[in-house]
Amino acid sequence: MRRVAVVGTGQTRHAKAREDVSQPELVREAARAALEDAGIGPAEIDAVVLSNMELFEGRALPELWAGEGAFAAGKPCLKVATGGTSGTSACIAGFHLAASGLFDVVLVAGFEKHSEGHTQTGMALTDPFWDRAVASGAVGNFALSISQLQAERGITEEQAALVAVKARRNAARNPHAHLQMAELTVDEVLDSRMLAHPVRMLDMCPQSDGACAIVVASDEPARRLCPRPAWVRAAVTRHEQPYLGDVDRRLLTMRTLRDAARAAYDAAGIREPLRELDVAEIYEPVTYAELAWYEALGLCEEGEAGRLIEDGVTAMDGELPVNPSGGVLSTNPVGASGVIRVAEAALQIHGRGGERQVEGASTALATGYGVYAWSDVVVLQAEAA
Amino acid sequence: MILEGSVRLPFRYAAGTTASTFLEALRDEGRLLGSRCPACGTVLCPPRLDCRCGERATELVEVGPAGTLVSWTELPGRGAYGLVRPDGADTAFVHRLLDAPESLRGGMRVHARFAEERSGGIADLAGFEVAS
Repeated sequence: MRRVAVVGTGQTRHAKAREDVSQPELVREAARAALEDAGIGPAEIDAVVLSNMELFEGRALPELWAGEGAFAAGKPCLKVATGGTSGTSACIAGFHLAASGLFDVVLVAGFEKHSEGHTQTGMALTDPFWDRAVASGAVGNFALSISQLQAERGITEEQAALVAVKARRNAARNPHAHLQMAELTVDEVLDSRMLAHPVRMLDMCPQSDGACAIVVASDEPARRLCPRPAWVRAAVTRHEQPYLGDVDRRLLTMRTLRDAARAAYDAAGIREPLRELDVAEIYEPVTYAELAWYEALGLCEEGEAGRLIEDGVTAMDGELPVNPSGGVLSTNPVGASGVIRVAEAALQIHGRGGERQVEGASTALATGYGVYAWSDVVVLQAEAA
Repeated sequence: MILEGSVRLPFRYAAGTTASTFLEALRDEGRLLGSRCPACGTVLCPPRLDCRCGERATELVEVGPAGTLVSWTELPGRGAYGLVRPDGADTAFVHRLLDAPESLRGGMRVHARFAEERSGGIADLAGFEVAS
């Protein structure tokens, strides 16, 4: 296996509706930006990996439209699908392709155009036997787990609201972000509409139109193309039983994320993640999930997640800034969201974070989350090991 | 230019023999069944032919109709939903709750209420209500 690194990243402007572009044009916007960032042309891409949730647009064969945008014609091209994790999984597949020695430079591109379809209908099309008739949806399923998190960990609505405020304020420093709310307050979050008790509108991620791409390269081209490559030190994915009730206390235990994080830290030689990581871009579809992930990722002891957000440990100026980009809570084109996590982690190491740069970041974490059934954990580092 | 419209999506999904037996017992007898794995003893509800341990769980056992409300939520305008673990099952599933949300709390005992008119499908289980 060869060492691999992320050497370029590119994103679109993310928004509620990108009616100015078609799907392939949206993907091309991100792919072109990633190639420019890496300083290469389309001819230098050896393979392409794609990510999208086709039911959200109600348009079959998204790999055709995304492939056209991602310069894939005439090249090996695959699509990876693992629910919301698809974007991080596509990145991991890209790492594997480059590490295998089969390809030197791989482009990974993810996109979603929620405005073109009906996301709630797409979600309802999952299980036809038990879930469709009930149709509590993504928000309802989160809510069912969150009430357990509140009861067992004492997580409060105010602590969750602090996560919402951190995310949207961080997003105000990210020119790509969809929801930029520099002045958002805890009271405004608590006053927002109840979607499914106890989850409020501003606790949830938005639905965004957007695309993101990264350029992955193996050892030699990585050193040639990038002055400070973001070396992949760990890339782990874990799957779990499909139905919400299949696993006891799912959000609290989150075995996929705990196991993936442990394996990733072992691979990267990380013993104290809170101290050793410089920045994290985690996939938090809802405020409460970010607090649950703090525990699962080993950033704190059980029951301490609320204190972490209250004390500002994960704020931009804290010990471990979590989601300088504003995270999924601020920008969520699902098929792209996982790619964005990896891209944002990589650009922190590249030192190209602009106003959201964490000074001197050299070890970065990225995670993916897919319908309670998948977790991905990626560790990137400035040192190749 | 925005091209607008909608599509109708017909479907006919096979439930498989195990889930079919579950749905038949629900419709014809007003009973809940779970699949019990002969190897690891896990009882899954709704039942599945293939246990997570790798064995086939061909034995169907009655679970419920009483159970425990694991957690609940309220969707404004649509009532309460809960994760309910029927007695005798190791797993829980999401379904409607028939009581006012204000009266609900995790850990409560609940009881299945079956629909008067049953036609095949999980909606034959009208929901769970707080046990009196």
